[in-house]
Amino acid sequence: MKVAPSRPNIEDELAPARRQTNAMIAIDNVSHVFRTSGRQDHLALSNISLIIEDGAFVAILGPSGCGKSTLLYVVGGFVSPTEGLARVKGQAITGPGPDRGPVFQEFALFPWKSVLGNVMYGPRQQGVKSAEAEAQSRALIEMVGLKGFEHFYPKELSGGMKQRVALARTLAYHPAVLLMDEPFGALDAHTRTRLQNDLLNIWERDRKTVLFVTHSVDEAVFLSDRVVVMTRSPGRIKEVVEIDLPRPRRRSELLLDPRYQKYVVEIERMIDDTSEEQLRP
Amino acid sequence: MMSGRDLVSRAAPLLACLGLLGLWEIAALVLSTDSFPTAWVAIRAIPSILGDKESLINILDSLRRMAIGFAVGVIVSIPLGLMMGRSRLVASFFNPLLMVTYPVPKAALMPIIMLWLGVGDLAKTLVIFLGVSLPVIYHSFQGAKAVEEKMLWSGAAGNILFNSLDMGQYDTVYAMIIIIGAMGIGLDAAFENLRGKLVKWSEPSFEIPLSFA
Ligand SMILES: Nc1ncnc2c1ncn2[C@@H]1O[C@H](COP(=O)(O)OP(=O)(O)OP(=O)(O)O)[C@@H](O)[C@H]1O
Ligand SMILES: [Mg+2]
Repeated sequence: MKVAPSRPNIEDELAPARRQTNAMIAIDNVSHVFRTSGRQDHLALSNISLIIEDGAFVAILGPSGCGKSTLLYVVGGFVSPTEGLARVKGQAITGPGPDRGPVFQEFALFPWKSVLGNVMYGPRQQGVKSAEAEAQSRALIEMVGLKGFEHFYPKELSGGMKQRVALARTLAYHPAVLLMDEPFGALDAHTRTRLQNDLLNIWERDRKTVLFVTHSVDEAVFLSDRVVVMTRSPGRIKEVVEIDLPRPRRRSELLLDPRYQKYVVEIERMIDDTSEEQLRP
Repeated sequence: MMSGRDLVSRAAPLLACLGLLGLWEIAALVLSTDSFPTAWVAIRAIPSILGDKESLINILDSLRRMAIGFAVGVIVSIPLGLMMGRSRLVASFFNPLLMVTYPVPKAALMPIIMLWLGVGDLAKTLVIFLGVSLPVIYHSFQGAKAVEEKMLWSGAAGNILFNSLDMGQYDTVYAMIIIIGAMGIGLDAAFENLRGKLVKWSEPSFEIPLSFA
């Protein structure tokens, strides 16, 4: 297959307007200070403002410790920011909710539940009947490629398998927003590519809003509509890059696409700059 | 088929019991005083005790005190320990008290408790209660502290009832208190019922208001 030529896209023309009306997540001037007993207070996020429209795939990149996870936790409602406000569908975020599904870097599976039990947790909590929840969960487990492992426990799974379970567990309660914190960071290259493709397929089918933290520039450009680059601690937004590449994206095509390569180089340079900032006193 | 290794690990508790009885037997033979019978003599006395009305009533009374002390201990301790593990404020309030009382042998408290409450059921039940609660509080506390935050968050995000960060958790705790409380009362009632059937001649005791068989 040949790389699709850059085509004028009506969606892109409409994008700014859509963003105004269709904000799924609005982060408004959020700052967060971690108060630690004994040590100095730590400013983790400084004046972050970001609007993410319904159905967008947004990646967050930045040096380690710059506050990416903290930003995700603010949107998840797990951390309430010391200043500013985050909203989901116009409602101020005051705590966690099933409209925002987190997938943590640490997986955080329930060790006392089997794969099936973990995935069924969300639907059961939401009052879905046991038989129905089980049918849905089995379908999801098959989708993430774990058919046959329904009755395994987390400790019996590899890292990549746990990550799939974590993803399935979150998808099972149909959150409108997926909050993913370096979900593929601990995986081997092959599994990583597979899961990236799976995620894109899911996203293209359900058009969920995705906020995706990663350290990989490749991954960010490959997956997202927009890449947010943050500065070294205290975390600020340094730059936002719109990724104007056609969808559906195929890895094999994209890697050869000069536009893709240009985005990667451009963003890598930005991150290098933020790292050098640290070296200067 | 069970491998030899499996067999040994299955039989281990039994072997431990036999070993203990063996040690007892040897110790009694070596010491050979009247007040310390051998294990074999003690075992042979069991049928006659179980056949005797009086001792059966006493055993059942002990079991009842144990059940009540255990149930009340668990009802109080698990929620308290869990709350200590999840809230720094609750922990800093109760932890010093726990640390001071934990190492004291409960038997050493017996004289004081007897001075306060006499030698009735209440005193004995209280000792059982203390013996049960302190370790349970401690271990629930440590267990709750060790729960990974992200796991709690995962639970909270998937749960439609969670709307605010620190509420909801307490709903669950109170629900558990009520459930465990109901279980305790239910167990006690069931126990009294069973006792009524097993030993019809014994009057149910009403000293403790929990019993209503
Ligand atoms: N619970 C906490 N208490 C105190 N400081 C914290 C806490 N959590 C994070 N921090 C600090 O806040 C800053 C941002 O942390 P965060 O985890 O958001 O970084 P990150 O960008 O996700 O890093 P990484 O890429 O390594 O995951 C760090 O400097 C960290 O030390
Ligand atoms: Mg992080």
